[in-house]
Amino acid sequence: MFYRESGVFKTSYAADMALLPLPNTRWAVAGLLVLFVAVVPLVSDEYSLSILNLILIAVVGAIGLNILVGYTDQVSIGDGAFMSVGAYTAANLIVRVHAPFWIAVPAGGLMAALIGLLVGTPSLRIKGLYLAISTLAAQLIIEWVINHVTWVSGGTQASIQVPPPSVFGVVLRSPWQMYLFLLAFVVLAIVGTQNLIRSRIGRAFIAIRDRDVAAEIIGIDIFRYKLLAFAISSFYAGVTGVLYSYYLGIANYEQFQLDVSINFLAMVIIGGLGSTLGPIFGAIFVTLLPIMTRRALEAVGGLFFAASDLSAVIPSLRLMIFGGLIIFFLVVEPEGLNRLWRNIRNYFRTWPFSY
Amino acid sequence: MRYVTRRPLMIAAGAMAGTWFAGGAKAQQKQILIGSQCDRTGPTQLVGTVFCPAVQDYVNLINSQGGIDGYKIVINELDNNYQVPPAIEEYERHKEEGMVSTLIWGTPQAQALNPRLEQDHIPGTSPGFGSAAAANGSKYPYLFPLAATYWSQAAAGIKFVKDTLGGDLKGKKIAYLYYDNPAGLEPLPILKELQDIEGFDLHVFAVPPPGVEMSAQILDISQRYRPDFVLAHLFGRAPSVMLKGMKQSGYPLSKVLGFVWASSEADILAAGGWPVAQGYYTMQFVGVGDDYPVIKEIKAMYQKEGKPPPKEMATSVYYNRGIQDAAVHIEALRNALKLTNGKPPTGEDMKKGFEMIKDFTLGGLLPPMQVTAADHEGGGWVQIFQVKGDKMVKATEWFQGYRELVLRKVNSTA
Amino acid sequence: MPDFDWGFTLLLVSSGVMIGLMYSLIALGFVLVYKATDAINFAQGEFVMFAAIMAAASMDAGIPFWLAALLALTGMIAFCFGLERIVLRRLLGRPIIAVIMATIGLASLIRGFATLVFGAGVRAITLPIGDDPLYLGPIMLPPVQLVGACVSLVFLAGFTWFFLRTRMGVAMRAVADNQTVSMGMGINVQRYFALAWALTGVVSALGGIIWGAMLGVDNQLPLVGLKVFPVVIMGGLDSIIGAVVGGLIVGVVEALAAGYLDPLVGGGTKDFAPYVLMILMLVVRPYGLFGTRRIDRI
Repeated sequence: MFYRESGVFKTSYAADMALLPLPNTRWAVAGLLVLFVAVVPLVSDEYSLSILNLILIAVVGAIGLNILVGYTDQVSIGDGAFMSVGAYTAANLIVRVHAPFWIAVPAGGLMAALIGLLVGTPSLRIKGLYLAISTLAAQLIIEWVINHVTWVSGGTQASIQVPPPSVFGVVLRSPWQMYLFLLAFVVLAIVGTQNLIRSRIGRAFIAIRDRDVAAEIIGIDIFRYKLLAFAISSFYAGVTGVLYSYYLGIANYEQFQLDVSINFLAMVIIGGLGSTLGPIFGAIFVTLLPIMTRRALEAVGGLFFAASDLSAVIPSLRLMIFGGLIIFFLVVEPEGLNRLWRNIRNYFRTWPFSY
Repeated sequence: MRYVTRRPLMIAAGAMAGTWFAGGAKAQQKQILIGSQCDRTGPTQLVGTVFCPAVQDYVNLINSQGGIDGYKIVINELDNNYQVPPAIEEYERHKEEGMVSTLIWGTPQAQALNPRLEQDHIPGTSPGFGSAAAANGSKYPYLFPLAATYWSQAAAGIKFVKDTLGGDLKGKKIAYLYYDNPAGLEPLPILKELQDIEGFDLHVFAVPPPGVEMSAQILDISQRYRPDFVLAHLFGRAPSVMLKGMKQSGYPLSKVLGFVWASSEADILAAGGWPVAQGYYTMQFVGVGDDYPVIKEIKAMYQKEGKPPPKEMATSVYYNRGIQDAAVHIEALRNALKLTNGKPPTGEDMKKGFEMIKDFTLGGLLPPMQVTAADHEGGGWVQIFQVKGDKMVKATEWFQGYRELVLRKVNSTA
Repeated sequence: MPDFDWGFTLLLVSSGVMIGLMYSLIALGFVLVYKATDAINFAQGEFVMFAAIMAAASMDAGIPFWLAALLALTGMIAFCFGLERIVLRRLLGRPIIAVIMATIGLASLIRGFATLVFGAGVRAITLPIGDDPLYLGPIMLPPVQLVGACVSLVFLAGFTWFFLRTRMGVAMRAVADNQTVSMGMGINVQRYFALAWALTGVVSALGGIIWGAMLGVDNQLPLVGLKVFPVVIMGGLDSIIGAVVGGLIVGVVEALAAGYLDPLVGGGTKDFAPYVLMILMLVVRPYGLFGTRRIDRI
């Protein structure tokens, strides 16, 4: 009753293929946009905004990784390294040539995509999990390079201070300015991914995931498309890295080590593979998890643990919940949080006639 | 199975969301909040599990003595797992709760927080880590290393080696064994400059993270290079692995000087105990052992509550460093309250309070440091202790090494 | 290039061989699982750590070494059985990626659990052998590494015999080759999966005790498990001999790189030299030196 899908007629191919064909959806998206752009910054305090910013950045990375893992079914554990590639590329450009953000961000992404091509080429020719192992190697090798090649890393400290970006002459210093900046990128990422999936390339990815032998038979060059998926996912990772450096104020490889890669993998799995909303849920969940665990334990933890042990318990518990949830979602609910959302949505879709 | 497990999941999620609004202490009347980021887990947990309780102990001691000018000190401690995004989120949270100064944890965190500290006018301390350039108070007005930075440590190390080897380093061989990350690489420029000045031969040996496998480097040092002295700048697990390895390959530990994070009782115990580390020289920026008035006071405080002294005191190196970090904040607070005539200080007042610290030695536990607006390091004092028997014995008094050279470098980065 | 010194090189090589054999011990656990179940165990390092922590904690509680080792062994076997029963059985028939990601999640779980229950400090495992190394000319052999090397070789021989000659071994290979056909032949696939994981538990336990004795036990120990990948890629994911040979290669390459390349480049080559080799191997001979040539080129 709320969500009518019938009674909508299209009169042109373009209208039929539009991204948001139903007027209901269009109103919903418009409403969401208004909410996020106008309402949220006004009512949130700095602390919540800082968390939101972190979530936004994570969303971009998760969406990118989902293209690889969810739509093409390859495992990559090296996302963190590609983020550092993007971060350092952009940081170098900004510090040396004063590149504005609309050059630095794509440049970071492109560099990461290039390195992705390099890493993917030897390992994607073979079916199996060699990509996973190669990305692990890439993670470690890239870390070493950044640490040792001072031309890249900007000195022995291996971190480069990144000044806040300026958009149309306004330097973004306050959290809500940063928030709008990041939100723009998130919207771009979502729209871009949606279009990608609906396009020929996206369908090739899904074909590879579902039955790669059949895909090869109908003429899809598997190697090329897998490589493309990997490169695109690395591009997103690079962009995420640049956004992190803008937000944190420094580009530092120690922020993009193995656990970060695993974090993002978890976001994609927990959120739900193979949809666009999935990684968003996953990103929100995984980013909020440590904060929530901490708050929950602060509130009730006094019952179980001594106060001084509490701060030691929280990170270990977080790791446990984290790993446990990955396993849980894999075993019980492979479609992740997205499935939960779908169920809720389906319920309301046919309400009150749910038979 | 699916529907059964889903409902409890939703309830748990709802409960956790509800606890969002609980937790965290805001500053109330007659209370001063200091934000502390302290890692009891993660790669630096060896330090944090001892350091962080020490901070709490010192603050409890001060509060039990009536606080400062009637103000109770509250320290909110959060763990950032050595990652920058949580550090920033925790900083924002402490700021919201009204902190006036903060204890930073971690070198990248110090750099990331620096612009925010400057914007919000809140000072942060980073004793024994952080970028050495932050000693420059004009360039980094809100960062306070307050203890010998890696540059000062390197310079002091060379001075100690020079004194130990008879006053002349010409032609002698010195090996620099270091953890291969930015902090480990930082002393290199100072060492190279001193190499030119003093005329010794310097060979560097990098240990890749995580620093648990260095047999090749140790073999190289003990069998091939055979230096006259080894400077070891390691942290985490690496120091204990080094100690064991050196002992096994027969290189005398009395020719090894460990920098400040390679020199605690915990490292020695992890290497297999005191017998393994006999003769090992350790560099400290805070006193070692429990023969100091403030330690005795804390023990007395525990005794009054009927509890034994905390077990963390056994690792006195890290415990005393925790005391130092807390103590400088309290001392800065004392100075700030003098400036505000007893009214609650702001972050800006605390900054001035830090810069007024001088002759604050806590009964010999701290060096005679002097903080000024230009020198946020306080002088770069260190003390060398040597492992003898089953404890560490003072080998030198507080000294500085090549101070003019270090200061020149600090000021040249401006 | 620093002077090429035969004595020093010999020292490096011997040290590399010993460490390499100890890497093989961990790699063996990995290969066992892959050989029987086709699953890549990303939590191998954590298995080793978990076993080590159990042993160290028991020793701290005053239990003598042999009993503690036995406890660790049984603990690991129980854990692996439980793991197989609760988690892995449900992932049967799912694409292999699911199992991989499950092991990645498992790694975090184990790490968190170990820190939670056993605390964050470092513990030592002291073996009932001396600490002083044996000297054979210029070569130095620390006893811990010697024991590790021997254990590795014993396992190599044992498992090779197991898979080639015993009925159970052959059945396991059949299961790895084709589950459906094995089931058709009357082999209880689930039982052999459980057995494979239990064997991994045994190997991990021994690896944990030895590596724990060498490096000290804390929750950074799993990082040694990352080295497993170059070893098995070079040796072959499903070859036991490959695990040993791969381990030797990695150990020696690391040692030589540390001794000769490091001074050139300023350090750290030892860490990623094996990975570079690994990538090269992937390009040239993806199934490793001894792995089965069963690669679907799609």
